[in-house]
Amino acid sequence: MEVIPKGQSKQDWLTYICKACGLLYKEEEGDPDSGIAPGTRFEDIPDDWSCPLCGVSKEDFELYDASDAVKISGGACIKSALVVNKAKGWTALKNSDVVIIGAGKAGWQAAQALRGANKDISISIVTACAGDLYEKPMISVAVAKQIDAKSLIKETGVEAAARLGVNFYANTHAIGLSPQTNQLRTTRGTFKFGNLIIAQGSKPICMPNVSLKDCWHVNHVESYTKLRAALQDTNSKIAIIGAGLIGCELANDLAMAGHDIELIDLSSLPLGRLLPDLASKKLLQAWGGLPIKFHGGVKVDDIASENTMKKINLSSGDILQVDHIVMAIGLKTEPDLVKNAKLDWNNGLAVNPKTLQSSAPNIYGLGDCISIDGEASRYIEPILRQADVIAKQICGQKDFYYENRALPIRVKTSSLPIRIEGKIHDAGNWDNEKGAKDPATGKIIFNQWHNNQVQASIQLG
Amino acid sequence: MNLVIDPPKESTISISLNDRARVLNGVREISQTDLAAIVEACDQEGFYPEAVLKKLGQAGAFSAHLDVDGEIDYGLAIQCMSEVSRVCGSTGFMVWCQDACGLYIESSGNSLLMNDLLASHGSGQTLGGTGLSNPMKALTGIETMYLKAEKVDGGYLVNGTLPWVSNLGQKHYFGTICNVVDSTTKEPMPGHELMFMLHCDAPGVELKECPSFSGMEGTGTYAISVKNLLIAEDKIIAKSVGVLLKKIKSAFILLQTGMGLGVTQGAIDSMWKVEKQLGHVNQYLEDRPDELQQELDDLTENIMELSKTPYDDSKEYFIRVLDARLHTSELALRSAQSALMHQGARGYLMCSEVQRRVRESHFVAIVTPAIKHLRWELASQKAELSPA
Repeated sequence: MEVIPKGQSKQDWLTYICKACGLLYKEEEGDPDSGIAPGTRFEDIPDDWSCPLCGVSKEDFELYDASDAVKISGGACIKSALVVNKAKGWTALKNSDVVIIGAGKAGWQAAQALRGANKDISISIVTACAGDLYEKPMISVAVAKQIDAKSLIKETGVEAAARLGVNFYANTHAIGLSPQTNQLRTTRGTFKFGNLIIAQGSKPICMPNVSLKDCWHVNHVESYTKLRAALQDTNSKIAIIGAGLIGCELANDLAMAGHDIELIDLSSLPLGRLLPDLASKKLLQAWGGLPIKFHGGVKVDDIASENTMKKINLSSGDILQVDHIVMAIGLKTEPDLVKNAKLDWNNGLAVNPKTLQSSAPNIYGLGDCISIDGEASRYIEPILRQADVIAKQICGQKDFYYENRALPIRVKTSSLPIRIEGKIHDAGNWDNEKGAKDPATGKIIFNQWHNNQVQASIQLG
Repeated sequence: MNLVIDPPKESTISISLNDRARVLNGVREISQTDLAAIVEACDQEGFYPEAVLKKLGQAGAFSAHLDVDGEIDYGLAIQCMSEVSRVCGSTGFMVWCQDACGLYIESSGNSLLMNDLLASHGSGQTLGGTGLSNPMKALTGIETMYLKAEKVDGGYLVNGTLPWVSNLGQKHYFGTICNVVDSTTKEPMPGHELMFMLHCDAPGVELKECPSFSGMEGTGTYAISVKNLLIAEDKIIAKSVGVLLKKIKSAFILLQTGMGLGVTQGAIDSMWKVEKQLGHVNQYLEDRPDELQQELDDLTENIMELSKTPYDDSKEYFIRVLDARLHTSELALRSAQSALMHQGARGYLMCSEVQRRVRESHFVAIVTPAIKHLRWELASQKAELSPA
C-alpha cells in the first residue's frame, strides 16, 4: 500500500542514487525486499539499511536529479570537441588507409597533398591540440601589427577536416605505436593503419629546475593565445629566456607594443650562436629605442612566484621581478612514441633523406619531428615539399624524391630584419667580422668562407 | 591451396634460471590439471578454489615479485598470473589480488605487519585481497571515499561500507584506504588518509554476499561493512598514503597485465582447437590466431621489458605501463570476441570456455583501471602545462 505523507503529492517523490553501484532508490517504490514499504521517504529509512545491490550504507546515497544527468551529457558533447567523432561513429578498432599524427602545418599539409593525389584514400588525423589552421610565422609579429590572437586562425580543424574529407580526432593523444601490427593506440581508441605519417612537431625545452606551469611558450597558437589573453592590453614586464630566433623575434614584437622586455641568454649577445658579434651588436643598437634590456652571458639560477609576480635570480646576482616569463631556449622532439616503437631515432625520427620513410617502410615523417642525417629542421618551407613527396610515395609514385637543401632564414626582428643564406657551420668563425656594405642596396653583409667558397651569408637591414 | 593455418609447436619456456622455470612449470601444471577440473564449477556455481590457490602459492606463484629471497621478479609474477588466467580468468584475478596485497605488506615497511603476514602470504598459506578501487577513484576525484577513520587512543576507529572486494573469506584480509576525519567536525581532512590491513574476522567487520556477476563468480567477492573497527599500529600499511601509492602505482598496474595476457592466450588456444574442422571458413574472419599470437608475443615482450624496473618513478615509464595495460585490455576483448566467432555455435553453449572467456575479457577491460580510466589518465599525463 502506498503511503503518501501529509501535505505531499506524488510529484514530490524523490529518487536517491547509490554512489557505488548506481542503484536508484525511488521513494515511491521503496525497497519491499528489505522491508521498506513503497512511499517511504529516504530520510525515514533505518540507518542500518544497505544498498540491496552492492551493500554500501545509506549514507553512500545521494539525491538523484534525472534532469541533471541529461544536462551533463549534453553539455559534455558540445564542450569536448567530440562532435565530429560522434558523427563518424565510434567503433573499437578504426581502420584508415593513412593515419596522420599531428595537425600543425605538417599534418595538414600532408593531408592536403594526399587528398590531392588520391580522392578516395581514407585519411584520419589524430592530434593532441584543437588542430586549427594558422600561419605560425605570424606569431612573431602579431602584437605590433595589432592582430588579435584569435584572428590568426584561418580555418578551424573541424572545417579543414570537412573540406579535405578526413576523419578528425582533436584533443587526442597518440600513446603507443606497434609497427608490426600497424596499430596506433590513442586516448580515443586504437587505429589500424595502412600507412602512418608522423607529424607531431616539437615541444619547447624547459630548464630542468623550472615548470612549464610558471612559464609561457609560443610554440603553437593555443599557448600563444593564452599568453596574449594574460597580457591583455596592459603594459607588462616580461622576461624572455633565450635570445635565439624565437626569443629575439618575440622580444622585438612585444617591445614594439610597449611591453618592458628582459631578454636573457647564456651567450653574451643576442643570436650569439648564429651571428658574428658585430651583427649581434647592430641588432642591439637597432633595439636602442625599444624597452628591451638584454642580460647576456648569464644563467637563470631559479624562478620563484610571489603573488602574481615572478622573481628570477640570475647567475650575475641580478634579481628580476616580472609579470610573465616566456621560455624560448629551444625546441626538442618528444622521443617516447618513436623510441618505444623501436623505430630509428637520431635527434628526431630518423627518415630516409629521399623518401622520408622511417625504419618501418609504411611509416613516414615530416616537419619538426624528423631528422635527416641527424639534423632536425624547424622551418616551414621544407614541409610543403616533404608533404608532396610523402603523398606521392604513398600513392605509388616511388621515384619522386625529397631534396634536402639549405634555406634562407628571415629573422623577423623588424627593428633590424636579418636574412641568412647558406649553411652556417661554425658560428664563431666569421672571416669578415666587420661586414661589408653592399654597394647596390647599402645593406651590411657578412660572409662565411669554407674551401674558398662562401658557405653562408648574412644580410642586415 | 591450404587454407588452414598450422598451430605453433607447444611453446617451451625460455628461462635460463632453473628456479624460474620450476616455478612457472609448476604453476602451469596446477593450472592445467587441478584448476581446469574445477573451472566450470567456479564460473557456474561460484565455487571458491581455495585449495588450488594454496597450491599455487606453494608453487611460488605469489612471491616472485616480493623480496622474500633477495630477488624480485615481476616478469615471473606476471607470467604465473597469465598461466592461471589462460585456464580461468577468475582465479587469475585472485592471483593478482593476492599479489597486490603482498605488494602492500612489503611496501609498508611496518615490521609488525611484515612479521605477521609476509611469509605466510607469499607462500599462499594465508590469503588476501585489495580494496583500492574506490580509494583510487576517490583520490583522483572520480568518487568519494567510503571508509572513514577517526583518530583515537591506540589507533584509529574505522567505519563505512566498501562494495565488492575480492579473494575474501572469513580468515582473509585486504589492504585498503580510508579518509581520516577531523575529530570535532567529523569531516574528512583533505590529504589525510590511512592505508591499513583489514582482517575479515576482526570485531565490527561483516562480509555481505554480493549479487551475481556476469563473470568472475567464485572469486570470494563481498561487500564489507565496518563498524567501529579499531586499527592499531600493527595493521597500518601507510600514514603517508600519497607517498606509498606513488611508489607502487606502476608496479600495481603492471602486475594486472598478467590477467589480460592469459585470457588472450586462452582465447587463441580455443581458436586453434577448431582450426582443423573450421579453418576453411574461419579464414574469412579478422583477427586470426596466428596474427593475434604475434601481437600477444610482442606485447608480452614489451611487458617483460617493463617488468625489469617496476619501481621506475618517471612519467615516461608510467605512460608506458598505462599503455601496456590498455593494450592488454583491448587485445583480450578482441581475442575473446574472435574466439567466439571462430568456434561458432559450439562456442555459444553456456558451458563453453569461449563463452566464459568473453565475460572474463569484459572484466579485464572494466576492472579498475578500466579502459576509460586508462585513457583519461593518459590524457591528463600528456596534457601540456601552462600558467593559465
